[in-house]
Amino acid sequence: MKEKILALITEVLKVPEGTITEETQISEVEAWDSLMHVMIIGELEDRLGISFSVDEALELANVKQIIEKAEQ
Amino acid sequence: MKTKIAVLSNVNMNFMLRMLKDEFDVYETEGYGNELGVLLNPGSTYHEFDAKFTFFIMDLMEVLEHDLTDYGIDSNPHIKRWFSLFESGIDANKLYYVSDACLWGMETEALFDSQRKLALEYAWTKSLSQICEKHSNVRIFPYRKLIEKLGEDNSFSLKMWYMGKILHTNEAQGKIAGAIKNTVNLYTRTPKKVLLLDLDNTLWGGIAGEHDKTPVVLSDDHTGLAYKNLQRVIKQMQENGVVLGIVSKNNEADAMAIIDGHSHMVLRSECFAVKRINWNNKHENIIEIANELNLGLDSFVFFDDNPTERELVKQMLPQVMVPDFPKRPEELAGVMLGIYHEYFEKAVLTKEDLAKTKQYAENAKRVLMQESVSDFNEYLKQLEIVVKPVDAAANAERLVQLVNKTNQFNLTTKRYEEAEMLQVLKDKNKLVYLYQVKDCFGDYGIVSAVIVDVSTQIPVMEEFVMSCRVMGKRIENAIVEDVEKHLYKKGYSKLKTMYLKTEKNKPVENLFESLGYTVTFKDGENKKEYEIDLSHCPNRDYCVKMDTNVQ
Repeated sequence: MKEKILALITEVLKVPEGTITEETQISEVEAWDSLMHVMIIGELEDRLGISFSVDEALELANVKQIIEKAEQ
Repeated sequence: MKTKIAVLSNVNMNFMLRMLKDEFDVYETEGYGNELGVLLNPGSTYHEFDAKFTFFIMDLMEVLEHDLTDYGIDSNPHIKRWFSLFESGIDANKLYYVSDACLWGMETEALFDSQRKLALEYAWTKSLSQICEKHSNVRIFPYRKLIEKLGEDNSFSLKMWYMGKILHTNEAQGKIAGAIKNTVNLYTRTPKKVLLLDLDNTLWGGIAGEHDKTPVVLSDDHTGLAYKNLQRVIKQMQENGVVLGIVSKNNEADAMAIIDGHSHMVLRSECFAVKRINWNNKHENIIEIANELNLGLDSFVFFDDNPTERELVKQMLPQVMVPDFPKRPEELAGVMLGIYHEYFEKAVLTKEDLAKTKQYAENAKRVLMQESVSDFNEYLKQLEIVVKPVDAAANAERLVQLVNKTNQFNLTTKRYEEAEMLQVLKDKNKLVYLYQVKDCFGDYGIVSAVIVDVSTQIPVMEEFVMSCRVMGKRIENAIVEDVEKHLYKKGYSKLKTMYLKTEKNKPVENLFESLGYTVTFKDGENKKEYEIDLSHCPNRDYCVKMDTNVQ
């Protein structure tokens, strides 16, 4: 699942492979603006079935939190 | 250079805008929901950007401000307000596409009056249609159809809406972006004109003439219905101006027995402008048809189930477009629809487009008559050609199409944007002549245009175009003479004109020499300038009656 999440984010952001890792902080990635954030949340739900509430989604700060949510 | 487009909306469309950026120069919106503000403010960044196309993708629920009151179709205050503001911002030099309506919101599901949703959508669409009728540069963007195809559940996302006022799912935004790309591309490619069809296992299943009684697969169920549906799509294409032809290896009598006699045929004999049902090579038949219709080979699309035939046509006639044939009959209708969108669809349909098959069929008859009459003058006389001047301003759409689509009989091959042509029509220093041509076989429609600039002491014929459908009948002689007489009556004693060589306009290379004009300037083969004394024009040879009642 972890690999799938990283691959999906990489694909949506159109960044080089390896840019997005488990350690990535959202604020450090220039392409990851608020618009892209919404698209990533939408894709995670549609394609991988990982669902965040609106509040959770807006509070996310890093990739690790996404992976943890998926593993719950 | 990339085409400049703007997409304005009352919901967040930024993700879709990013999808469009690889193909177009896209206006960077300042947020969303201020679509009318940027349109109406002449100092806005939108006006500074100067987009050629502007798309308004409007969410009706936001326009209505969630007010679902039944005001009646013509008096919804929200819709009236939107369109009256929009209309005051229309610039005649630009093209606008406005989405039709799909009213979506959770509360619509709770509406007691189930017709209300439809009525509100209709109120929007009706106002939009009225604006489109008034302004030829405003057109409908078929948004509703996209949503219907995808389904509301797949098109809208509440979560993204709450998070960022993004109404549409990624998938829906992708579809909208695709439709915008297709729309813009319709303006940049030259559409094909003729669809050439094989018969056996193409328009019907099985082979004509093989069985005595129960011939071919064509019916109202199973595979027979798949072929019938293909024919229905083709029939609609024909009604939109696509000219149809048959190129098939059959005994003609067997094939015609089905075409005219089979109860499930949708495409009857009269739907086809040309037929080549014989055992000759198909590429030879296609060359014959091109000559008969007076069209270049690049105007044709060839549809045949037999891969060998397709390959041969591809190799012998690389200009002819040969699409793949689907493996299963049930895919036929969809594949044909794809062919229509890819090769034939136009941004605007004119009256001339709608009458095309008839015209081409009549033309084919004219060629046959030409073959049977040995003396050319006698042939022209029998045609009883009538040329009639028509009002240019009232037929501006056709004028633009004629000037921009004519390659062969065209002095300069200068192209005009629609707005540019409207300027020319208003300009007192430009005289625009437009002609309709008829003969004993039928009406060709409006097929020739002349533009004369009278801003200088000696007027200059800047444009003279004539559709290839009427070439070779000395009609040009009558038209030039009509323009000359008109100018002479207005007090001009001389007329200048020119020829700018292109790859395709050889037919008019020596036109003015033959009409008695003097060459006053020559730049190798590329350019010639001419002049004539209007009081001493030589007698021209033609068999045309001028009908001078301008309509």
